Amino acid sequence: MSFLTIVFALLFYAATAILVIGIGYRISTYAKAPAPLKIPTTPAPTTKPGVVLRLFREVVFFESLFKGSKWTWLFSMLFHAGLALVLLRHVRYFQHDVWLPIQLIQPFGIYAGFALALGLIGLFMRRILVDRVRYISAPSDYLMLILLFLIGLSGLAMKFVVHTDVIAVKDFFLGLMTFSWSPLPADFLLIVHLLLVAILMIIFPFSKLLHAPGIFFSPSRNQVDDSREKRHIAPWAKQLEE
Amino acid sequence: MLGSIGLKRLIGLAVAGLMAALAATAHAGSEWVTEGSRAEGLDSCVIDDTEKMRRNHMDYLVHQRDDVVRRGGRGSQYKLAECVNCHTAEDAAGHAIPIDDEGQFCASCHNYMAVNVNCFQCHRKVPEEE
Repeated sequence: MSFLTIVFALLFYAATAILVIGIGYRISTYAKAPAPLKIPTTPAPTTKPGVVLRLFREVVFFESLFKGSKWTWLFSMLFHAGLALVLLRHVRYFQHDVWLPIQLIQPFGIYAGFALALGLIGLFMRRILVDRVRYISAPSDYLMLILLFLIGLSGLAMKFVVHTDVIAVKDFFLGLMTFSWSPLPADFLLIVHLLLVAILMIIFPFSKLLHAPGIFFSPSRNQVDDSREKRHIAPWAKQLEE
Repeated sequence: MLGSIGLKRLIGLAVAGLMAALAATAHAGSEWVTEGSRAEGLDSCVIDDTEKMRRNHMDYLVHQRDDVVRRGGRGSQYKLAECVNCHTAEDAAGHAIPIDDEGQFCASCHNYMAVNVNCFQCHRKVPEEE
């Protein structure tokens, strides 16, 4: 077992633990955060199914972003939809027998890689070229885009420039999951790709990327606009009433 | 709260578990060859180094088309027909089984990785009749 394999095996165990526990902790704090006021952004749905539909449109189509900025929406959509397909394409590394939908998605996942990179370039240009966005951009805003872009670039390079041994990579990850380790090929692009992904997993619970679980807990999006029918009272305020 | 002794024990267990995982690691090796194929009786690939072929066959086989069709080149060392001749098995009746059938030479790895093989829409998938 090579030193490289041991380092990466431990790295991915640690990164997975930090990602899962970190996001779990964040979600628990989001879920426990008080929402004392009724503040859905109007016009808002007046029923619960309506809220579910609104959140669905928000998460899948980025509705409010579309209303706010068409350019940002375009690049954002390119990036997120690309990322979703690329992630689905990567599921083949974690299943011994690959599901049929994952098999069918493979060719689309390749094009999605380009959409992802294009979207990231657009979002990066936005931070540089739009004055008011540049003014409020912090280093982490740029670094996240650069990190994701380098992950995409190294992945695309492995597809189109220098192949890696995908069978060995799959054996490595299945080995991690079944605790029977298998060697990782020492290919430069693969090492860079996996190292950056591990970094992404580790900083995810401490970064702006938490908007992924966070959007579901946004009071201005997830509340029912029924303040005229029902008095809204936070649990802690109820105690004071009695 | 975990006491310091409990924490040490936990770390000790984790390390022991990792060591056990390391010890249990026996790499099966990608020694795949189709049972009953001519290749089974050989030590290595006759075209090139076996490991090299496993990793790079896609680069060797693809993109010969322009060379063959436009420049009349037949000089490549790597010929799909040779792969097919050597790596197909026969069924009970003595007929060759297509090389991209489930569980056969191409399909075994390509299905594992969900990689589509589109060679055989044009190329033959059984050895040439002798």
